[in-house]
Amino acid sequence: MSKEKIVLCDDLADIMPPEYLDLVKDATYGNQDRGWKDVGSSKELIEQHSLCAGCPESIAFRYVLASLPAPEDTVFVGSTGCTSLVFPHVAVQNIHSLFGNQNAIASGLHRALKVRFPDKVKDVVVLAGDGATVDIGLDMTLQSWFRQEKFTTICFDNELYANTGGQESGLMQKGFVSKMAPVGKLFDKVRLPEIARESGCHYVACLTVSKPNRVEKALKNAILVAREFGPTFLQLYTPCILEIGKQSMEGLDEMKDAEAIGGRFVYKEYATDEVKKFLKEKDAEEKARKKAAKNQG
Amino acid sequence: MNKEVDVKGKKGTRSQHVKLGQKNKKDQTFTDVEDMFAAKDQQGPSFLTGSEVIRDAIKVASVDISVAYPITPQSEAAALIGELYAEGYLLDYFRGESEFAVMGQCAGASFGGARVFTTTAGPGTLRAMENFPMWAGSRLPIQVCVTCRGINSPLSIQPDTLEMHYLLETGMLVWHAETAQDLYDFILAGFIVSEQPDVHLPLANCCDGFFVTHTKDTVQKAPEDLCLTPYDPYKSPVPCMDMECPPVRMMRDPFVMKSNYISYATHASWQQEVRAAVERSRKHTIQLLGGLIETENLDREILIVSSGTAVSQGREAIRLLEEEGIKVGLVKIKTIRPFPNEELLEATANAKHIFVPEFNMAGWLAREIKALLPNNERVYAGPHVAGGMTMPSEVIAEEIKKHLGIATDSWGGC
Amino acid sequence: MSEYKVLPGPEAFLPPAAASMGVVLPDPGEAHIEGRIVPEEEAYEYAARKLLAGKVPTLFPGPLVLWKWNDKAALKAAAIRRLADAIPARLIPMADYRPKYPKIDPEAEINPNHPNLTIWHNKIDVCIFIGVHCHQANLALKIIRGGTNCYTMAMCAQAGHEDACLSFRDLTVEKIDKMTETVKRLKSEGVESQAEGFKQFKMTSAGRS
Repeated sequence: MSKEKIVLCDDLADIMPPEYLDLVKDATYGNQDRGWKDVGSSKELIEQHSLCAGCPESIAFRYVLASLPAPEDTVFVGSTGCTSLVFPHVAVQNIHSLFGNQNAIASGLHRALKVRFPDKVKDVVVLAGDGATVDIGLDMTLQSWFRQEKFTTICFDNELYANTGGQESGLMQKGFVSKMAPVGKLFDKVRLPEIARESGCHYVACLTVSKPNRVEKALKNAILVAREFGPTFLQLYTPCILEIGKQSMEGLDEMKDAEAIGGRFVYKEYATDEVKKFLKEKDAEEKARKKAAKNQG
Repeated sequence: MNKEVDVKGKKGTRSQHVKLGQKNKKDQTFTDVEDMFAAKDQQGPSFLTGSEVIRDAIKVASVDISVAYPITPQSEAAALIGELYAEGYLLDYFRGESEFAVMGQCAGASFGGARVFTTTAGPGTLRAMENFPMWAGSRLPIQVCVTCRGINSPLSIQPDTLEMHYLLETGMLVWHAETAQDLYDFILAGFIVSEQPDVHLPLANCCDGFFVTHTKDTVQKAPEDLCLTPYDPYKSPVPCMDMECPPVRMMRDPFVMKSNYISYATHASWQQEVRAAVERSRKHTIQLLGGLIETENLDREILIVSSGTAVSQGREAIRLLEEEGIKVGLVKIKTIRPFPNEELLEATANAKHIFVPEFNMAGWLAREIKALLPNNERVYAGPHVAGGMTMPSEVIAEEIKKHLGIATDSWGGC
Repeated sequence: MSEYKVLPGPEAFLPPAAASMGVVLPDPGEAHIEGRIVPEEEAYEYAARKLLAGKVPTLFPGPLVLWKWNDKAALKAAAIRRLADAIPARLIPMADYRPKYPKIDPEAEINPNHPNLTIWHNKIDVCIFIGVHCHQANLALKIIRGGTNCYTMAMCAQAGHEDACLSFRDLTVEKIDKMTETVKRLKSEGVESQAEGFKQFKMTSAGRS
């Protein structure tokens, strides 16, 4: 939607709940410079959520929503799990369909938007957990990459099935003891970033959400590259503190540990040579634009 | 209990689309479906297989997106639609990776405001099954042509209508075409009925594999320079997911739970609403298909009541019995969901014996009819064949005679 | 014809959908009153009298008329305000359809997942839904019929609602204005509004003022 459509009718605006008055006045739809720094200072696109206190997924959601290049023309596709408890409260249209079919839904959705709005950029973004992405939905995840569907897939990797109570998933570490892995998981954490790279993703990044600027950059890269080249993939470590026996305050430390040298989530990025060149040009453009704006200001 | 839908004297809902009368890029004129049907007489009949008929219906149906996956006996139709795409009649088309994925891809395209068509059969229908109640619950007016085939082990690619039974409580509209002509008419009418704002449900347009898809038949088609008016996603009873309509804070479709403040009455009401929408389709369907059933000689004490190609075999059986002086009437059921309750009660009011021939082992149609009719001992569930057997009309005639205690040259029962 | 009447509840733990009881939607130019198909003209008068007879008449505008997503929406919003002023009736928005967390303010908002809370809280005895997507409107209308005694009406831009006690279809700005004119005419003929005194709330970012 053009941002101009996200306005209230004058004659009924004064009966709307405050969160909508704020959304129209202070949200960052249409703002080229939107990013994680708007969290807390502008109206966020996530209204509220019912995730556990201190859940890293909630901060990941806020960074992602704050950093979308064009939320007024973005549609999310989610899947079943903790993320689907948040999505009803997100001020970007989004779909929950079935468990695991998110990349199939996104394929059809992106194509429909492409043929209906040939002259507009419409971003489709999949955001789902590890169970949906790598286990039940792996077939559809990979096939959308093989087909070179032009959308971004984000996996919130908490290394288990959280919403059903902490069962083994394909992205769980080997040896971890959980429900359905009573003697410890018997095989390695699935190497999804590498699989994504080999399956035709043009840009892949794997990181924790401890550093908001990194999340913002990776997300913007992923979406811009998806528009131009084809599928892109982000894997974000969002530990389920509840199921790994940590306190509400310990999510950040857990992520920092995981990304330290030798950890499972040391920052990783794959991009084709073409994409590297493209991102470099984009960065240069962005710098020039900001400099010009500063000089004008 | 469903009561009669009074459609006498109802005016049809004619297309109000802004593009009515304009031309598309293939030089076809956007036309109301009833005017397209009226124009079928303008040219001579065509002699086509069912698969070719599906292609020719889609050619004039203003379909935006179709997703294909090969499974006999629908593969040819799906491939022919691909050729239409290559010729520019569809905006997008691709092969998905499995029926489960294809139905998800169709859902995505429909969520995004496109008119969507696909085809499947037998094991494909079952693999896709989780999607169908989701389609209905999400109010996605996708049309899937189901070319019925066997679903049991050992695998059979031949016609068997058992898979339709699985579709009955998905919340979809379920229609059953007898002939290639039906299939053509049902596809075009189907888009219009299922996209009505008060209906807005998916449609399973079923036909019997091979008998309809692979045999040639004469068909009256609309001129190919006409086409259906496009789908308008902003008349939908639910928000289109394109960030072009309010509210933007919208999840399709949230599970309402995990809160003390929210009642599960929402879920129950949601399911009621889907079934209500099936009911609402009656008046539109009656208008476009000329009724949910067709009948012949209802004054007779013996009736054959069925759907699909079992009706064709029933007609021939009636002719054979007529030669022996046994008079039998016929009821052809066109829509299984909505089920033609009032129509059947009226049509069978005078019948003493009601035979329901079916191409499946379960006899699900007979069960539906028995559940509806008073004095249902009148209903004889059979004859049945399954797994791809044909049902010679002689078998139907013999079984009727046997049941009525008339001497026959018995084939042995089945 | 169906014998079923779409009357105010509380009807049942889970009332049936009116369509499943044989109630059929009106054709263009028609409306329905309690399941009875009538010429649209007849429904204006009936609806206007219902609104004037209500103690807490309320309009529930939905997202399709709250947001200025096209020019027509803004015109409808203005017409809705005129109607509310003429009755006079409260305006309570159905701002969106999400299961609201942790809870809604039932005095100032209605939600299709638990509309009964808003009806009960404000003791609303007659209401009109307008600009709500049909699917969500029907959910709300059924839940209200199930658990409250509110007389429900729908001014629908599409085919109408059998789950409302009274429903118009093919709504336009002109039709909303016609309803307003009918209310004004009845008042000029001596039909008095029975509405209890109220002050329409105004919202700001800080909440109600």
